[in-house]
Amino acid sequence: MSENTALHPALSISGASCQGCVSKIRGALEPLTGSADRVEVNLDEQTVALPDGIDTGEAARIVTEAGYPASPLEAAPTSGPALEGDHCRSDKSQPDAGTGHKPEQEKGKSQGTGDDDQIHLAVTGATCASCVNTIEKALKSVDGITGAHMNLADNTATATGDADPQVLIKAVENAGYNASVIEDPDAADDLKQEEDRKRYKTLLVKMAISLSLGLGLMIWGMGFGTMMVTEANQMTWMALGILTLGVMVATGGHFYTGAWKAFRHHNANMDTLIALGTGTAWVYSIVVTSIPYALPEMARHVYFEASAMIIGLINLGQALELRAKGKTSEAVRRLLDLRAKTARVIRDGEEQDLPVEQVRAGDHIRVRPGESLPVDGEITEGKTRIDESMLTGEPMPVSKGEGDEVSAGTLNTHGSIIYKATRVGSETALAQIIRLVKKAQGSKPAIGRLADKISSVFVPSVMLIAVVSALVWYNVGPEPAVVHMMVAATTVLIIACPCALGLATPMSVMVGVGKAAEYGALIRQGDALQTAGKLDLVILDKTGTITEGHPAVTRFHATDDDTGRLLALAAGLEQHSEHPLAEAIMAKAKEQDASPENITGFEAHNGKGVKGELNGQSLRLGNRRWLESEGVDLAGLQTEADVITSEAGTPLFLALGDKPVGVIGVADAVKQDSQAAIRRLHDAGIRVMMVTGDVDATARAIAQKTGIDDYRAEVLPEDKASIVSEMRSKGYTVAMVGDGINDAPALAAADVGFAIGTGTDVAIESAGITLMRGSLHGVADAIEISRATVRNIHQNLFGAFIYNSMGIPVAAGLLYPLWGILMSPILAGAAMSLSSVTVVTNANRLRLFKTSNNADKEGNE
Amino acid sequence: MSTLLVNAGGLTLMAAIVWWFWLSPSEASGSNNDHSHHH
Repeated sequence: MSENTALHPALSISGASCQGCVSKIRGALEPLTGSADRVEVNLDEQTVALPDGIDTGEAARIVTEAGYPASPLEAAPTSGPALEGDHCRSDKSQPDAGTGHKPEQEKGKSQGTGDDDQIHLAVTGATCASCVNTIEKALKSVDGITGAHMNLADNTATATGDADPQVLIKAVENAGYNASVIEDPDAADDLKQEEDRKRYKTLLVKMAISLSLGLGLMIWGMGFGTMMVTEANQMTWMALGILTLGVMVATGGHFYTGAWKAFRHHNANMDTLIALGTGTAWVYSIVVTSIPYALPEMARHVYFEASAMIIGLINLGQALELRAKGKTSEAVRRLLDLRAKTARVIRDGEEQDLPVEQVRAGDHIRVRPGESLPVDGEITEGKTRIDESMLTGEPMPVSKGEGDEVSAGTLNTHGSIIYKATRVGSETALAQIIRLVKKAQGSKPAIGRLADKISSVFVPSVMLIAVVSALVWYNVGPEPAVVHMMVAATTVLIIACPCALGLATPMSVMVGVGKAAEYGALIRQGDALQTAGKLDLVILDKTGTITEGHPAVTRFHATDDDTGRLLALAAGLEQHSEHPLAEAIMAKAKEQDASPENITGFEAHNGKGVKGELNGQSLRLGNRRWLESEGVDLAGLQTEADVITSEAGTPLFLALGDKPVGVIGVADAVKQDSQAAIRRLHDAGIRVMMVTGDVDATARAIAQKTGIDDYRAEVLPEDKASIVSEMRSKGYTVAMVGDGINDAPALAAADVGFAIGTGTDVAIESAGITLMRGSLHGVADAIEISRATVRNIHQNLFGAFIYNSMGIPVAAGLLYPLWGILMSPILAGAAMSLSSVTVVTNANRLRLFKTSNNADKEGNE
Repeated sequence: MSTLLVNAGGLTLMAAIVWWFWLSPSEASGSNNDHSHHH
């Protein structure tokens, strides 16, 4: 493809399996190499060749971020077999519904996990955005690791690349946290749920202990005694001080160990601020208690209750947060619950109930009415209706019979069937959907990365502010200056905890991605979620997207009136093809009892038609442009072709040698809800454009019928991507919606690619967003959810920033000169907990979001 | 005297914070294995 001679294999990649992946990788590397032509992707060897002098580490990072785990070749030589991923996985039975034919290499491609080079870790001890940054940095610093990603919402980290998991764990531990490898991410969920429940209870107990001590001290001090140390109560306060220390260690020990670990490694996080804040208050109080006479009388105030109360309040905040976090991952749990535990397997003629883990591909499984399907497979006996709504969002059960594909997690509603397992365990569509949703929930849109960057410098800055405010109070503040400086410093440290900032983005992303999954839209990346909210132009592929994608022959006309021969010749060619148009012609030939002619030398010409040989003569079936360019005179078929196009059909011309044989009209019915979905896009202020390989008249007829603003007709598949680029260069934020392999380059070129899966045949990783059912409403749903999520993230970030930027000056005592207000450290602790709880609650509010389609329906009922 | 000591202590503390968190190399992103900070 490229004529560059100075390209050398530089990166080992995984997961790239089609031309869409190639264009995406080349596009991603373009800024680094100066031109996409200076990048060569070898799909067979899974390598990327680059010119000399390119920073391969940087290139690996870019490619990894584009979704294809990569490592520089010198760091990870490709000695093993090429890795296979499933970025462009498409089921064998799914025809390429565009204008091209399925590339041979796609057949039998890995149905693998797409996670080949990823190591998942469960991380404990991370509490805020600074921790996220520190952990990601620590993981990325390990040799062989090209990307790392920490998700605070579910406390997992994912490292991409080739490294010993033990080295990764060591790196995380060195950074001050604990980690363990997640062997089986699916099984880990149940375990984590159990652990979370235990942790929730522990936090509540700790909260109760520290709050009762704090409250007790406060009531005793204020109500019955004094918070000032006197000769009479010195020993009592000493005893209470030691008790407080015991409670602080018992109920807030994790803050101190976390802070110490982070400190040793030159990091600072939320633990640092809490430890410093509560520690300062305790140390000051114990000094007052031990040597009260060394301080002025007014400064002999103890703050033991503040230390205990702050720890209690933060424990309460974390408990509430933990519970709310559990709710955000409900979408995944719902999918996990769909997995059947056992399967009725027929082996050696005997039926036996086996745990689903023991089912192997090739096993025959019986499923009775009302039962869920345990694995993916193909029906070999029986007929039924299957409820696939849990996977596709499609409410009506779908009729299935022998030869039809069925998916794990769906429900057999009607008859008893026997089916052959084709994909089991982690390879089922359900497992892949779960994996994808989880991965997307953990991914961070650009806006979240910005928040992380800010908070990594935030904590040390707060420490500086605390010292500065302490000095100001000491130098120019009123008496007792020592007390004021301590209170101001403690309050600043406590109120500034960036935990809300760290939670703001991941919480909303988690709920948003889960919500989208509920509507049958699988979002692959946080970035796609963010960008989908900004779209102002949606480009729709016609076949299979706006239309049903199952064309039928509407008319046929032979030049010599021998329509039987016309159909026999056409069917002879099309029997070699998997294209939807071919299916239509085959069906018509069968209906008319025209048996297919024996055609040799079959060739598919992408976007043009098909060609073969009959008795040494070339036989072509295709569009006008192609046949005319091959020298066939089609003037005699003009009238018939015009009638076909005026009915929104596509005329296909058949020529033997250079003589026209006839024309066949094939029309593809517009999906019932396409018009309504397009209206929803218009309502959202989005322009809608259609691209199609059809002739102008057909395209116009469909555009008029569905209310599409603009269309491009007679577009070759390879030109779709350039149309997308053209519209992007005009300033539009463009979504491309398509369903075939040949749409992949256009999907990758768009700001957001929507792949339409038909039924459960999900071309999972070929686009930013995959719609699990055929309806265009999915596009509108995804855009609405994305807008709501981005709005939610903005609210969260705004809230967190405002809270910190207003809280810190107030805590430092800025209001004191005006109104004499100096905030109490206890209030700061409560406010801090409240801010995290507010962010988490606001994110949870998204769970109630309904798309306009759904709201309309409910409104009408 | 105490004013001088407190202020000097405060300034030293600030210098220490800047040095520890920003200027001195950390182990996690240390010199032997960090690629992102060395150009």
